[in-house]
Amino acid sequence: MVSKVGFVVNPIAGMGGKVGLKGTDGVVKKALKLGAKPIAPEKAEETIKEFLSRCTTKDKIQWFTCAGEMGGNELTNAGIKEINILYNASDKATSFQDTKNSCKQFLKQNVDLILFCGGDGTARDIFSVVSNKIPLLGIPSGVKMHSGVFGITTSATAKMLHEFVNQTLTIGDAEIMDLDEDRYRNGEWNIQLFGIAKGIVEPTYVQVGKTSYESISDNDIKDELTEHIVDEMEAHDDFLFLFGSGGTIDYIANKIGIKNTLLGVDAVYKNQLIGTDLNEEGLLSLLNKYSKAKVILSPIGAQGFILGRGNLQLSPRVIKKIGLDNIVVVSAPSKLISTPVLRVDTGDKILDHQFMEKEFMMVVIGYRMSRVVKLQTNNF
Amino acid sequence: MERNPSAFLKEEYDELVKNNFDWKLRILETGSSPHSVVDGKEVIMLCSNNYLNLSNHTRIIKESMDAAKKFGAGSGSVRAIAGTMKLHMEVEKRLAKFKGTESSLIYQTGFAANSGLIPQLAGKGDIIISDELNHGSIIDGVRLTKADRAVYKHCDVGELEKVLKDADKKYKRILVITDGVFSMDGDISPMDKIVDVAVEYGAMTYVDDAHGEGVIGPDGRGIGAHFGIEGKIDVEMGTFSKAYGVVGGLVAGSQDLVNFALNKSRTWLLSGSHPPAVAGAQLAAIDVLETEPEHVKNLWDNTKYFKKELKNMGFDTGHSETPITPVIVGESSKAKELSNGLYNEGVFALPIVFPMVAKDKARIRTMMNAGLTKEDLNFALEKFEKLGKSLKII
Repeated sequence: MVSKVGFVVNPIAGMGGKVGLKGTDGVVKKALKLGAKPIAPEKAEETIKEFLSRCTTKDKIQWFTCAGEMGGNELTNAGIKEINILYNASDKATSFQDTKNSCKQFLKQNVDLILFCGGDGTARDIFSVVSNKIPLLGIPSGVKMHSGVFGITTSATAKMLHEFVNQTLTIGDAEIMDLDEDRYRNGEWNIQLFGIAKGIVEPTYVQVGKTSYESISDNDIKDELTEHIVDEMEAHDDFLFLFGSGGTIDYIANKIGIKNTLLGVDAVYKNQLIGTDLNEEGLLSLLNKYSKAKVILSPIGAQGFILGRGNLQLSPRVIKKIGLDNIVVVSAPSKLISTPVLRVDTGDKILDHQFMEKEFMMVVIGYRMSRVVKLQTNNF
Repeated sequence: MERNPSAFLKEEYDELVKNNFDWKLRILETGSSPHSVVDGKEVIMLCSNNYLNLSNHTRIIKESMDAAKKFGAGSGSVRAIAGTMKLHMEVEKRLAKFKGTESSLIYQTGFAANSGLIPQLAGKGDIIISDELNHGSIIDGVRLTKADRAVYKHCDVGELEKVLKDADKKYKRILVITDGVFSMDGDISPMDKIVDVAVEYGAMTYVDDAHGEGVIGPDGRGIGAHFGIEGKIDVEMGTFSKAYGVVGGLVAGSQDLVNFALNKSRTWLLSGSHPPAVAGAQLAAIDVLETEPEHVKNLWDNTKYFKKELKNMGFDTGHSETPITPVIVGESSKAKELSNGLYNEGVFALPIVFPMVAKDKARIRTMMNAGLTKEDLNFALEKFEKLGKSLKII
């Protein structure tokens, strides 16, 4: 089977990092003035070369990309001869608009995957166009990479791409996150969850014969997690249940019949939705009314955060009120392979310390099935 | 509704064949011997569990035949009704003595022991804590319970303790289950430490020692004896089907355990008991282990030599501590190529590939046999070296 891969490079991604700008959004000229050099084209080329070294004659790929430094050059330099150029940026100094325009072309071509080189900003731009229609895979080259679509290194990305082409990896949820750079440069730490894209993930396998395994779909796993949560809600029918953000929690809530907010926190009591997309204040007022509560969370982003990224409404005051023992973490087992550590950054030293003392959390990975996962509270 | 009720049989089988996941049975034209004829070709056997070559032991064969002549071909019933013979009781008595436990119980197979006993040991409000690499029969046993389940990282007692600490507050009964010897890597679970930490948290311990029984511990008495903790593991489960060279599952522990197990295990209660020929062979196998230490010694001498030579050639043999020696080659395709090459050269050893093991850890799994001579081992090693070089593994 021929795989259609859309390839786009954000040539300026990552330039702000070395000159201490915490991002390149809107400050390219300043970065250049400070002596920043482009790093993305090189990383992109490196990845493609490594990918090609893994390919055999069986692997057939049709490449769609943009002219010049936005993809065409990198593919040519890596040794690919047949390239379909879909977009040509009008100005040499490319912008986020060019990334978006190229993605519109990828959508038209119905590509199987978009391979991009950049950071969180680039991921956001692509997501704003393709939503969850096409899976994304990011070659890490930005200053910030909190989103769940990036390979850990260029080499890991090349391997993932090869396995995707060979259909040994599957498609799953991946969070698109970004730090608000303007606020960050003014000393404010605010990472937001922008949406749930499709990423490529390791499937979950179950043993069916002595040496044969079947991969089970992400949705089958989420169905099991749902059953577990249903049991939990039945066993604690006098508890308020808070549903956190992200694709897994959203799936569970919808299965139970609750109209959940994908990117927000909702409250359920006796199977009734009693609060939608609650902020800190809204959560606290409900917690004052209902003395017993549990919150259901799933690791967010590539780094496994359960608190402190993308869900700041679950503030230290809210968490203290709920109690550490009432946090239920759910995750597909395959996600834990790429997220071996859960991270917490509540912004409250005492609370972070309490998490640190816990050392680990039991994460629900199937119906009545859990596993121990290490907990870290260090900042990123 | 109009439906073809059995269409799925062919559809699902075809799918297995398409993905190359179907079992292609290899036919032995001899007994399971160090030199076997497999699919018409004579090979050095490196993938049988007949570690001590006891399936070919003259005395065991004779006592099996004698028992059949004396007591007949079948046992006539399940154990609970009219199928318990004096011979079965004798095997259980001798086995408990051999293993240093108060009592023992023979199951029809190891699988029947795990899938019959585990679901009775924990139920709603209890938790079963498993090593992440436990055998499929344990997983099936656990699936049959209403208990909660937790897994810990392979052989990581620190992580097990964390789960125990968490479970201590929440559950009535806690059951820790692990393989004794892990069949993919040949490593041994740290049973002494597992028992220590389980005792601290009031948890029951259960070990599946299928690959350790007859292999590890003095005279092959199994994992309890290996760590000098005989009688301290609550349930020592094992098998007669591997090193003992016969067939059947076993459970050794307290009299309370045996009383409980035989009254509650549905697999035990609802399957016919072993034919006299099997029970006679089991009894003789215990006898041989007690009186002929050379078999276990040969197995370990062979194992040490084979491992050392493979390592000297530059093969990665992992962290095995037992006669299961993996030869780790990396990519799945390479493991399959090596296995095919070995067979063509007269050595039978099967590949183990992803997702049984990690993607870059595909391997040939070799299992040593006490009946192989130095000459046989050198023959096999020579083929490993030749193919390892031509496939650029070493």
